[in-house]
Amino acid sequence: MEVALLFTMIIGLLVLGVPIAVSLGFSSMIFLLVFSETSLASIAQSFYQAMAAHYTLLAIPFFILASTFMSTGGVARRIIRFSIAVVGHFPGGLAIAGVFACMLFAALSGSSPATVVAIGTIVIAGMRQVGYTTDFAAGVICNAGTLGILIPPSIVMVVYASATEVSVGRMFLGGIIPGLLAGFMLMAAIYVIAVVRDLPKGEWLGWKEVIDSAAEAAWGLFLIILILGGIYGGLFTPTEAAAVAAVYAFLIANFIYRDIGPIARSADGSGPSLISRPHALVTAICHPDTVKTLFDAGKLTVTLMFIIANALILKHVLTDEQIPQQIAAAMLNAGFGPILFLVAVNVILLIGGQFMEPSGLIVIVAPLVFPIAIELGIDPIHLGIIMVVNMEIGMITPPVGLNLFVTSGIADMPVMGVVRAALPFLAILFVFLILVTYVPWISTFLPTYFMGPEIITN
Amino acid sequence: MGNVKSKLQETRLGGIVDRAEQVAIAILLGLMTLVTFTNVVLRYVFNSSIIWGLEVTLVLFAWLVLFGISYCVKVTAHLGVDILFGVLSKSKRKALALFSAAICLAYAFLLLKGAWDYWAPFAGLYETTGRWFPTGIDPATRDQAWYETDQIPMLDFLRFFEPLLNEGEEYEKLPRFIPYVILPIGVTLLLFRLIQATWRIATGRSGALIVSHELESADGKDR
Repeated sequence: MEVALLFTMIIGLLVLGVPIAVSLGFSSMIFLLVFSETSLASIAQSFYQAMAAHYTLLAIPFFILASTFMSTGGVARRIIRFSIAVVGHFPGGLAIAGVFACMLFAALSGSSPATVVAIGTIVIAGMRQVGYTTDFAAGVICNAGTLGILIPPSIVMVVYASATEVSVGRMFLGGIIPGLLAGFMLMAAIYVIAVVRDLPKGEWLGWKEVIDSAAEAAWGLFLIILILGGIYGGLFTPTEAAAVAAVYAFLIANFIYRDIGPIARSADGSGPSLISRPHALVTAICHPDTVKTLFDAGKLTVTLMFIIANALILKHVLTDEQIPQQIAAAMLNAGFGPILFLVAVNVILLIGGQFMEPSGLIVIVAPLVFPIAIELGIDPIHLGIIMVVNMEIGMITPPVGLNLFVTSGIADMPVMGVVRAALPFLAILFVFLILVTYVPWISTFLPTYFMGPEIITN
Repeated sequence: MGNVKSKLQETRLGGIVDRAEQVAIAILLGLMTLVTFTNVVLRYVFNSSIIWGLEVTLVLFAWLVLFGISYCVKVTAHLGVDILFGVLSKSKRKALALFSAAICLAYAFLLLKGAWDYWAPFAGLYETTGRWFPTGIDPATRDQAWYETDQIPMLDFLRFFEPLLNEGEEYEKLPRFIPYVILPIGVTLLLFRLIQATWRIATGRSGALIVSHELESADGKDR
């Protein structure tokens, strides 16, 4: 009963426009002060420990930093050139290339809004130039950008893994097939639309362009191998992989692509060489571009972790009150089988995803549904992928849809306009969600194949 | 957004403080990355490691977030739901924003009491009494100033704390009150920035405490 009150208060505050983090934290504090023995000091402690005691979550700032370096440092631009060279000549080519570029960037970055910004900034403008409507361009990129959290690495998967104590590596593997599938479904849909509506297609630029652009993008794309290979080869933990990725992206941006930093090239490709300025190796670390990138990534980390830290306080409340056990008992008593249970999970997440930021929602919901899933014999990775796909949908539906916000910013159109533009492709994501929910194989094949069956389920 | 920023920087001091905050955020994140990366390199190239690397990184992580929250209030970067703001009249919108600000202030105030109560014993200071509000100081607070971190080495220039807090005994490792001090500092800054933000809303110079997207894109078109 008290818990119902707690959730009413949270939703009330959210709707009234109180920041998400404060809505969660304030409601939990009031609940703890009124109904439990917990002191404010121990709430402050768990707030501090949200960062200092969660090694897994430490991957978040590093992944954010890596993807910030990659978007400012020209990796995104080269991936797009490569994508256009490969698929640009199909009907609707530039749109398909946009999706392909989003998939590639998603394999480097762990965040959906970051993917939209990195790819969308360039592709949306390009699509408009060759005659696509702004609506179509924004709709495509807004949706394809959500792949950022499905194709590994993924911040949302890191949060899920941290909340349920499954392995981050397994989750990342689990995301590969669903990510590719979702990407290809989007591309196929664009192809059909393009043929029906006779959308512009680009020219086939020849194999030379494919090879040239691939060679140029290879420096950035090597990061995929570095991250995934490093994790599965046992070279480093996901957190370390993220830090290595950040440093690698910094080096590429400053010294290979030279889009930013002390020896940056101007638009015509001229610029000081490293040989003439060897001290650049040192000054790059405190160059204004580097500081700006670090600051931007830091700011993003802060807003995200503020929500997660408060969601963790709420999570403590729920576990202290034994809510997960109560919900599990209620659902099992009501005779929920795996299918009905997964429907329920989807509904909860779809509704929650409207009002919450994905990572915060996962912190709260994952511990609630995880025990039941185990009870019903659902693979934790399967459950995790379902959650991630729900979060993708949440990101392109109002009122809190991070992808909508950033798309509206870069396409210079009102948020409601983007919502309408994204709608047709949203339908595809829904079909995809149903597919992922009822075909567990899509999510569990790779992790089981490479790392053996999940032990918790047995 | 642009508006708010120029106002913040209109005084020279404001500009310097703003820059200092940005650089601090950048340095904290940069250090975290460097320490973690260095440890990976050390492990593979030199077959060794910095034993305190992980603990320091986690402390820096906590510092980054706790310090950064107040900055994000200042530049209105925190996320929220803004559906109601779109449909309400201007005066109702202001009332709503003030309500939201009041909740945030209450939150920060409670968290500040918690932050002090948690940190104080580690610094040999007194907790406050009272459950919701600080009603006084509690002289019976158990002194925990001798608690040390797990691995972080003691820094020599901090040894002046030893006679003050540790009865003259040497700290072998960095005492815990140092990393934890970000709690009272960060939350105090948060409260301060929230008071400023509330004042901006009350005087009509700012619309809300959360990023407001519909308004922002409408602004963009006007210009």
